[in-house]
Amino acid sequence: MRDVLSPFLAWKNLFRDPVSIRDPLNREAAPRYRGFHKNDVEKCIGCGTCETICQNGAIDMVPVDGFDPKNGDSGLRPRIDYGRCCWCALCVDVCMTGSLTMSNAYKWVDADPDAFRFIPGVDAKSWDGSEHGYVCAEGHHLTALERVPMDEMEPEARISNFDEIVAGYDVARAKLEADRCVSCGLCIATCPAHMAIPQYIEAVRDGDYERGVALLYETNPFSNTCGRVCTHKCETACAVHNEGEAIAIRWLKRHIMDQVPQEKVREIVGKPGPATGRKVAIVGAGPAGLTAAFDLAKAGHAVTVYETRHAAGGMTRYGIPEYRLPYDALDRDVDVITSLGVDIRCDTRIGRDVAMADLHAANDAVVLAIGLHLGRSTRIPGSEHAQVKKAVDLLRQITDGEAFDVPKSAVVIGGGNVAMDIARSLARLQKQIHGKVDVTVTALEDLPHFLADREEVKECGEEGIPIFDARGPQQIVIDDAGRVTGLRTWRVKSIFDDKGRFAPSYDESDELFHPAEMVIEAIGQASDVSLLGEALTEELAWNRGRIAIDPDGRTSVPWLWSAGDCVAGPDVVHAVADGHRVAASIAAVFAERSDARE
Amino acid sequence: MRTLLESLKERFPLGPITEQRPDLAFVTVERETLRPLIVHLRDREGFTHLVLLTAVDWIEENLFQLTYLVHDRANARDIGLRVMLPRDEPEMESIHDLWPTAATYQRELKEMFGIPFPGSPRLDEEFILEGWVDIPPYRRDFDTLKFAEENFEHRAGRGTTDPATHMRERMATQGGSK
Repeated sequence: MRDVLSPFLAWKNLFRDPVSIRDPLNREAAPRYRGFHKNDVEKCIGCGTCETICQNGAIDMVPVDGFDPKNGDSGLRPRIDYGRCCWCALCVDVCMTGSLTMSNAYKWVDADPDAFRFIPGVDAKSWDGSEHGYVCAEGHHLTALERVPMDEMEPEARISNFDEIVAGYDVARAKLEADRCVSCGLCIATCPAHMAIPQYIEAVRDGDYERGVALLYETNPFSNTCGRVCTHKCETACAVHNEGEAIAIRWLKRHIMDQVPQEKVREIVGKPGPATGRKVAIVGAGPAGLTAAFDLAKAGHAVTVYETRHAAGGMTRYGIPEYRLPYDALDRDVDVITSLGVDIRCDTRIGRDVAMADLHAANDAVVLAIGLHLGRSTRIPGSEHAQVKKAVDLLRQITDGEAFDVPKSAVVIGGGNVAMDIARSLARLQKQIHGKVDVTVTALEDLPHFLADREEVKECGEEGIPIFDARGPQQIVIDDAGRVTGLRTWRVKSIFDDKGRFAPSYDESDELFHPAEMVIEAIGQASDVSLLGEALTEELAWNRGRIAIDPDGRTSVPWLWSAGDCVAGPDVVHAVADGHRVAASIAAVFAERSDARE
Repeated sequence: MRTLLESLKERFPLGPITEQRPDLAFVTVERETLRPLIVHLRDREGFTHLVLLTAVDWIEENLFQLTYLVHDRANARDIGLRVMLPRDEPEMESIHDLWPTAATYQRELKEMFGIPFPGSPRLDEEFILEGWVDIPPYRRDFDTLKFAEENFEHRAGRGTTDPATHMRERMATQGGSK
């Protein structure tokens, strides 16, 4: 009987509230459901880390209209193939900017399978504005955001000597730091020398330092130097920089060089190419000149470098103090270059010991890489006084070990790295000779717009050197006995006029007097072009006081190239890049001439 | 929990102990100790519920870790028993006779990690991987991306661009970064 009735008893359920969802087709997923991706394409930097981590090969990096590559952004954006995506969200968790997230939308019907491959954030979708979905949890990162600490000498320990401040990483720390790199390669374009940064960081990770040295020498024969004092703009392009501290690319480069003995480095670099019979003269043994010499010697050309100072290195030796770049580190870079047969003739000044015309006559090409060694003057009243010095001159004297009367008190005019270099060098000498530091820095720029590196400003403060920012020098005060007593400054209201020209305006009511026995000008440098001689100076095309060059570094005179600070402004790694550029241009011209002869 | 752990120490050889919370502790034991200990916990100490049985691949140490989590309802506390097995010889005694549900966990572990539990019911039947031909996929030496590339074709129209190459090509025409 029950069996007969039971199907009908089920009808009573008709009058109950349904337990199922009223509209199952429009049911929203849970708030943290992992649905179709969203990408904030303005925030995205196209580093491709999402593509690298995807275990399904579901992501392509593709160019997108309106997004051109620029420093720190490849201009590419991720395109996702939902035929392969498994919604694991590793791409969201690893995203270096937090731009990539997931909506909670998971339902989408389309007859065209290719519709399920699109660029989130570029191809508009209904869920782009969705508030729900999956985002990387606050504070959760798959890569370490903090830089592995670097040991540095404490201010008290370093102020009385010129010992190197930065200790360098040991192997364990370098590996940890290298491990933070996601190998996206955004940094390469920002480096003027386009160094193979992710590759040499990988060599650190693998502990294969000889491979590291080989990679460094592909693009930079000044890696001991750049590993210490490079302007390291690459680190501003680092993907980790978006949410954490950039990889210490510069320190890792130094670390590689620190690990490999000099003989081994020479062996890795190899021998010069077979002799071509071509001769090149290079004026100036700084990073630009010597990089060109390195490339040309490797190609088998005979290279002679003429250097007016006692030793090679240019500004890296005569401008940068030893506590940042020890001379023996620079010497190692130079040694590899001379080991290729490059003949560096120091204490040889063009225009005095050898004429420019003779260089032209005896060589197939000449490179001018004479740097910026003349300090500029403020030309304020009193600046002609003998106790008013140029920073570059004093730094050279310190390098050469020339004795000079170290003033008990000094004031430096300038806010760039050269100003920091002379202030900190003088502080060390004062500590050694007088037992007390008394150096003041005054700069036109205010601290937020300072030209010197942040670390330099910080370390200046640690070493007891006060910095007066936004101060315009007005007069060097000289007493009745003819001695310098100090510098008078006014507060800077603005440095540039509304057309962007240099035209500082001052608040005359805000005057300060900085007492000092010596005033040092560190407001910029110029090239000493007097060595060119009148005829060549006339013949050359100029561009606002600098020798005009084409993109290959060639001047308007067919046998003359120019490279480095004297044409491009001060920057060591830029000088290296310039050196490569002129060497390649010279090699190309030589090849053309050979073809013409045959 | 402390009293319990002390009394367990007297009866069984215990390895490292982690007291995660007042109501949760982990104990590492030898392969041979697992069964007598878990029987004791179930029958004498009130840990009647097998919460889960799972594994971790410590490939660097060449070990698999099994974790048996058991729960004492009356006192609302959990103990996790850890057994470290050599990766190259990971066989483990089955506990399906103690908890029938263990058979399912063991079947899963056999499939995903390749850890055999001889005698466990339906151990060699496919669990969720149909027609699997590769090494067990939860082993850390299983290369998911390689497997995906080898087994699943890309639709036409795919193609990617390397960021560094793209930047070199596109920014060189703008005079590099100068």
